[in-house]
Amino acid sequence: MDRALVVEGVTKRYGGFTAVEDLSFGARSGRILGFLGPNGAGKTTTLRMVLGLVTPTAGRISILGETDAAKVRDRIGFLPEERGLYRRMTPLSAIAFLAGLKGVAPAEARRRARVLLESQGLGEAIDKPIRSLSKGMAQKVQLLSTLAHEPELVILDEPFSGLDPVNQQSLEDLIRGLADRGATVIFSTHVMQHAERLCDQVVLMAGGRKIFDGTVESARASTPRTLTLEGVFDPTALADTPGMDNLVVSSFDGPGIRVTADLRAGTLAQDALRSAFAKGLDISRFELREPNLHDAFIVLTREGAPGR
Amino acid sequence: MIARREYLAYVRTFGFWLSLLLLPVGLSSIVLAPMAMARSAPIPNVAVIDFSSHGLQAAVARALATPGAGGKPAGRLVAAPGAPYASPGEATARLRAYLSGVRELPAGGRLDAAAILRPEGDSVAIDFWSRAVSNQVLQTTVGDAVKDALRRDRLEKQGLDPKTISGIDSLAPTISEFSPKAESGRVALKDRLPGIAGFAMGFLLWMVVLTGAGMLLNSVMEEKSSRILEVLLSSASVPEIMGGKILGVAAVTGTVLAFWMSIAGVLLAMHSPDLATDIGGILLADGRWAYFALYFVGGYLMFATLYVTIGAFCETSREAQTLLGPMMVIMSVPLLFMSQALSHPDAPLLRALTWVPLFTPFMMAARAASDPPAWEVACTALLMFSVTALELWVAIPAFKSGALATGRFTLRSFVSSLGRRPA
Repeated sequence: MDRALVVEGVTKRYGGFTAVEDLSFGARSGRILGFLGPNGAGKTTTLRMVLGLVTPTAGRISILGETDAAKVRDRIGFLPEERGLYRRMTPLSAIAFLAGLKGVAPAEARRRARVLLESQGLGEAIDKPIRSLSKGMAQKVQLLSTLAHEPELVILDEPFSGLDPVNQQSLEDLIRGLADRGATVIFSTHVMQHAERLCDQVVLMAGGRKIFDGTVESARASTPRTLTLEGVFDPTALADTPGMDNLVVSSFDGPGIRVTADLRAGTLAQDALRSAFAKGLDISRFELREPNLHDAFIVLTREGAPGR
Repeated sequence: MIARREYLAYVRTFGFWLSLLLLPVGLSSIVLAPMAMARSAPIPNVAVIDFSSHGLQAAVARALATPGAGGKPAGRLVAAPGAPYASPGEATARLRAYLSGVRELPAGGRLDAAAILRPEGDSVAIDFWSRAVSNQVLQTTVGDAVKDALRRDRLEKQGLDPKTISGIDSLAPTISEFSPKAESGRVALKDRLPGIAGFAMGFLLWMVVLTGAGMLLNSVMEEKSSRILEVLLSSASVPEIMGGKILGVAAVTGTVLAFWMSIAGVLLAMHSPDLATDIGGILLADGRWAYFALYFVGGYLMFATLYVTIGAFCETSREAQTLLGPMMVIMSVPLLFMSQALSHPDAPLLRALTWVPLFTPFMMAARAASDPPAWEVACTALLMFSVTALELWVAIPAFKSGALATGRFTLRSFVSSLGRRPA
């Protein structure tokens, strides 16, 4: 199977409010897809529609080759945005219980739960009530509970929220490990750095609409690099510099001015600099900055670019 | 699995074991405590000071010495300390110290009560002094004894001999109760058992619904507020979740009931084997157990579904309370009328209430003794299960919608969720 998930023209309306509008994208099997967007972008609603928890107003969803998510429920692992476990249960029982719901035999479910907990450094907490664990440990337990049945498709809604940097790194490793063993991972986040490091594909959403769908590199490429020049010179002299657009002049904590400009696609930074020096400008410092996913998201959101 | 988890979650709590043991211990206390207290309580000392000219002291002494329900005499007549007294007022003044416990009786012990009998026209007035003002037994015993003695005295003065008076006093009809519904024609306790069993079953269902439904509501509410429901919904269908929870809680209440009934059965078999046999016979006769089971299961399902759905819309106990209030009002209606079914099982109002689906299981159980016609049983059962099916049809999307919703419960969100059905 080439695509673990196909979403085609999906719309979800609640009365007069449109949460998701005409959304289409696909997730390739064995890859990591980042589902990005600010709060209220429609990410959670989309994931709930994918899981069959919410019925789309229009459109079609195919998950693991089925249009009814209930038929492939046991092959999917889901971590919701707002997390919770039975506080009186032990991590071992909780993971085994949820794996059992996915069709894993009780003895095997307990064995897998034990292995997972020990592999994640939670061996000592195996038989403690979840209410006695720290928030980070409890979140880890819940994450493991979505994996104990060894799902083909793992859907994680804001998995990094609430985790400290060490646990965030640990989660990134876990997600890479899932993809390495052939699972498809879809996770939503509004923190671009995680997606930038992990994803083969990103889908950017804003206001319920898709604004980008592609690789991280192509998202970055859609955003211009920026060249910053600092020094004592007349900024109007840069106006006709080839390859530079959107010049912004500002002051800074030093002598002279700071000019920030977008570099057009295909323009070499050294050509722009050479041109500036050729005009005899007194430039004390320059910096070329490659765009990151966050920049790409800001630009794409501002432009309201249609999905590619 | 959901049912098993639900069951174990409750069984492992301290509250479960407390409720399991509390009723038998409580009931035993209610029955045994008064008996033990009566057995251990000392016989009260009573002084009778008779200022009347009727010579009533002996009659009062006989009445006090007669063994009561507990096999003990109501009181012991003692000589009035400090007697004789010139007047009732003097007697009252002197006895006060003994009655208040300041002074002891000459023979030891305390004076518990004193009856000062003084003339009042043709009759006698009694000033009854007692340490235990709430205990009316002594006062009634003394009053009745004086009344009987005065009556007998008056009749003797009218020329009746004591034998005739005793004969008149013993006149009482022998009442035998018959009914065509009684097994042997003559009504016995066994014939009243179906009515009592029906009321007991109705009341039992009422209790199970009240406790079980409360557990369900809290369980779903807790799972919603702690966001577990969303995980469950991604792993199981709504009917599986609802069914699992309902079954799990049914198993919990079933365990408690089975334990209580086993204890009751054993105690009954030990102390009243005939009654135990009669009760067993009543439940097994004419498929009555199936009749009770039908309404018990139907009633439980109907209310459990309702409460599970309500729970999915609540995140706090305050929200749940606002919804439970009206439910409690509804639940109190069958409780009011079930006891009436013991004496008037076929009263038109009771028969009418039987056709209100929410009251059907209670009223039909309570009316079991009147042997409702088969068509009525079939139609009410059909109505009850149809309403439960309708409830489920409405509850499935409502449960899903409520479980995924955030924010406060509103009637609008509840009603609008009813219209949303999964594709």
